[in-house]
Order: sequence, then C-alpha cells, then structure tokens
Amino acid sequence: MAVIEVKNVNLTYRVLKNRTGSIKELFRDSVKGRIRILDYVALHNVSFSVDAGEVVAIIGRNGAGKSTLLKILAGVLPPTKGTSKVYGKIAPMIELGAGFHPEMTGAENVLFYSALMGRDVKRVKERTAAIGEWAGVTDHMDFPLRTYSSGMSARLSFATATDEQAEVLLVDEVLSVGDLDFRAKSRDRMNSLISSGAAVVLVSHDMVAVCELATRAIWLENGHVKMIGNPAEVVAAYEAH
Amino acid sequence: MKYAQLIRLLVNRELTLRYKRSVIGIGWTLLNPMITSFVLWVIFSFVFASRLPGTQQYAPYLMAGILLMTFFSQGVTISAESIASNGPVLTKIYVPPQVFPISTALAGLVNFFIGMIPLSIVCLISGQSIAWTMPLVFTVGICLALLTAGIGMTLSILYIRFDDMRNIVNVLLMILMYFTPVFYPVTILSPKLQQIIQFNPLTSYLDIFRWAFSNNATATLSDWLFMIFTSILSITLGTIVFKKFWPRTVAML
Repeated sequence: MAVIEVKNVNLTYRVLKNRTGSIKELFRDSVKGRIRILDYVALHNVSFSVDAGEVVAIIGRNGAGKSTLLKILAGVLPPTKGTSKVYGKIAPMIELGAGFHPEMTGAENVLFYSALMGRDVKRVKERTAAIGEWAGVTDHMDFPLRTYSSGMSARLSFATATDEQAEVLLVDEVLSVGDLDFRAKSRDRMNSLISSGAAVVLVSHDMVAVCELATRAIWLENGHVKMIGNPAEVVAAYEAH
Repeated sequence: MKYAQLIRLLVNRELTLRYKRSVIGIGWTLLNPMITSFVLWVIFSFVFASRLPGTQQYAPYLMAGILLMTFFSQGVTISAESIASNGPVLTKIYVPPQVFPISTALAGLVNFFIGMIPLSIVCLISGQSIAWTMPLVFTVGICLALLTAGIGMTLSILYIRFDDMRNIVNVLLMILMYFTPVFYPVTILSPKLQQIIQFNPLTSYLDIFRWAFSNNATATLSDWLFMIFTSILSITLGTIVFKKFWPRTVAML
C-alpha cells in the first residue's frame, strides 16, 4: 500500500536577478527595467511512490533538489506543478531540534516540539519522563536547553520525534546522532518503527549507510530523477558518474 | 482544533520567555505601563489635566491610552516578525503558519488584561470607580486582538519579501501613536485635526475602552460600529493575503 505518492512534481523558485530586498532598489530597478525574474527549476517532473515498510534513499550532489523534495513531502513547500500526497502521520526529522528553544527546559521543549508535529500534548506530557530517559538526559530535563551539549539536545530531539509511531519518517542526515551507543540504539528504534509499518525517506551522502538501510534508491541530478532502483546498482552508477 | 494546544503553548512561551531570566519575571508586565504612565503623567498632567471635560481624570485617561497603544504596537511588531523568526521551524515541520501571529495577538490580549490591574488601582486613587460597563472591555480586547492579528499576518508576508518593511512599520507606528489621543484630550486640537483623528480606528477603540472601564470618555454608536467593522475587515484581509501569498513566500524563507 502506497503511503507516499508523488506525481509529476515540479518546483520552480522565482529568483529576482540582482535581488535586493529593499523597496527603494526594487523601485529603482523596475523603473530602469533592470528587473529580471529567473525561474530556477529545483525539481523537474519527479514521480515516485513509497509503500509502507519501505526505506527509500535519495542521493545526489549538493543542490540536486534532495532537500527541496523532502520539504515537499513534509508539506512545507507546495509544489508548483503536480501533486504530492502523504497518507498518515509524518515524523519530520529533517533538522533535529528545529523547534527547540534554548531558553526553555528540556521537558518544555519536548512538549513544544511534539505540539509542532501536531501530537496530543496531554499524551506527550505523560511520556516526557520516558522520552528523557531514553535520550539519557533524565537529570537535565528541568534545565534550559542552552545548558545541553549539542549531542544531548540532538538525542532528546531524536527521542521526541520517534516516540510515536508515524506512517512516514523523513530523515535528513540524522542517522549519525550522538555517540556509538546511542547510534546503535537509534538504529534499533528506526528498525522497529520500520518493521511496524513506517515508510522512510532518507537523504544521505553516506553511501555505505544507503546500501545497508535502503530498499530502494532515487538518484536526483539537477532536479531530474536520473535513476530509481536497487540501492547497490543506483549507488554504483552514481559513484561511477 | 488540532493546533489549539500548540497555540496555548505558544501564548505561554510568549508571556514567560521575555522575562525568563529576570528577577521579577512577569511582574514587568505590570510595572512597564505604570512606569511609562507615571513619567508621562509627571510631564503632561500640568498641560492636559485641566482640559479634560467634566469628571474625567487624566491619570487613568493616560494609562488606558498607553495600555491599548502598547498592546497594538507591540502586537503588530512582534506578530509581523513571528513568521520570519520561526522560519527554521516552518521550513521543516508543517505547521499552519498563522498560529504564530495569532498566538502573539493572544499573548498581547493577556498582557492587556493583566495591565488592567494597575489601571484599576490608578482609577481608584484618582477618585474614580470602575464602571458597571467594565465587562465590555473584553469586546475591545478581542476586537483589538483581531485587528492586530490581521495586520500582523499581512505584514509578516511583507517582512519576508522586503527588508525595509520593518523600518517603515516602525515609523508608521510612531506617527499613528501621535494621531491617537493617547496622552492628550481630543478637544485641544483644531476642528479639522479632530476630524482626521476620528478616522483613526484606534481612537474609537480607545474611546470605548476608557468609557467602558471607568466612564472616562464618551463612546458613540459609530465608535462601536467602526471598531467591529475594522477588526473584522483586518482579520479577513489578513487571512486572504496570507492564503494568496504564503505558498510563494515560504520558498523565500
């Protein structure tokens, strides 16, 4: 059963050439006819679907459109053309700790981050201690986040994001969170989420991890899908390129 | 609504975070308008106090003006900034972006109500009693929150697109402050200026607020209509502008 359906997605950023951001300059430039709007095509006719339990890796050079594609899947960026549909709850792990605030305590941040992901705050409240424990920061839950080390805060945010079963996990290079122990622990948790039916879309430059984790790989090149298929084959073709 | 809980957390954060590291914390919300009002009262009471008609008192008149103006200008500046400052979240997690300006307006509303505690004290000290119409200030608060949220939503789009907007808004707010009878009675102005001031919606809000709280001004039916009309207009326009321009604006964050 497909949980993600992406059909003919195009995304164009409109870029003002010599973009200034100041009204005065915009006015001056438009009077002189110096404004040129460039359409920067970030994604071109991208189509694919992901079934429950699948792990799809997106690979490609910097600027190939990988992050843009994740943003579209997350529902943050509406596609210019085409449709992108995700059925079920999304756990976005695009940049861990994006919703964290340094002045709020660990426990407050867990609540806040969960609320941002549209979860039920009451239920999370009961889970806060367990989340902190799993992240290994129990003693620090009542201290402001600015006192955390970056590893601690990343662990807490990973623990929060994966605390509830989601249908779709969007992962952007976050598999390397924390120390070795925690990495093993987080990999276990990812695997258990996948085995209970979550689909994963991950963006990575770590080709070893891609071959190991993914069941399918998509190679993006300048916004075009260059190749979809078996991860080992796609990675081989990408590296030979 | 699914995001009601998020709005509650955001309002809470807005109220506590600003004073998180300060000693008296949210007490500043009480202290700030009192200090500002006191300073202005010391300076202006000689000039303006005698110009107020009938039983009206200058101290509560001034403080009501400052409370309402703070609510409006702080609400507008913070909510206009809220989308840009939450950009890192909005580009990673899907959250209806409107929750940020709305929460800011609601936090302003709470501060406005907290500010009525010192206002009541000032009223009593200057020999006025709280009017029986007092509950009507809730209508004023809600209308003002709608007005603020609507303007904030529109501006938040403009803030992302044009860097200059911040400076323009600051100047406009300052001008608006002088075109609102915050610290002077309207009657000191020439008839022509008085007419212009009546076109400022905030004048109506302020008249109703002062009248409802301690019968310290006169509010007409047209003031009420103007207040309700502008608040609904603002939130409607804000919503429409936001819906129309957000998809392209989010790509600029």
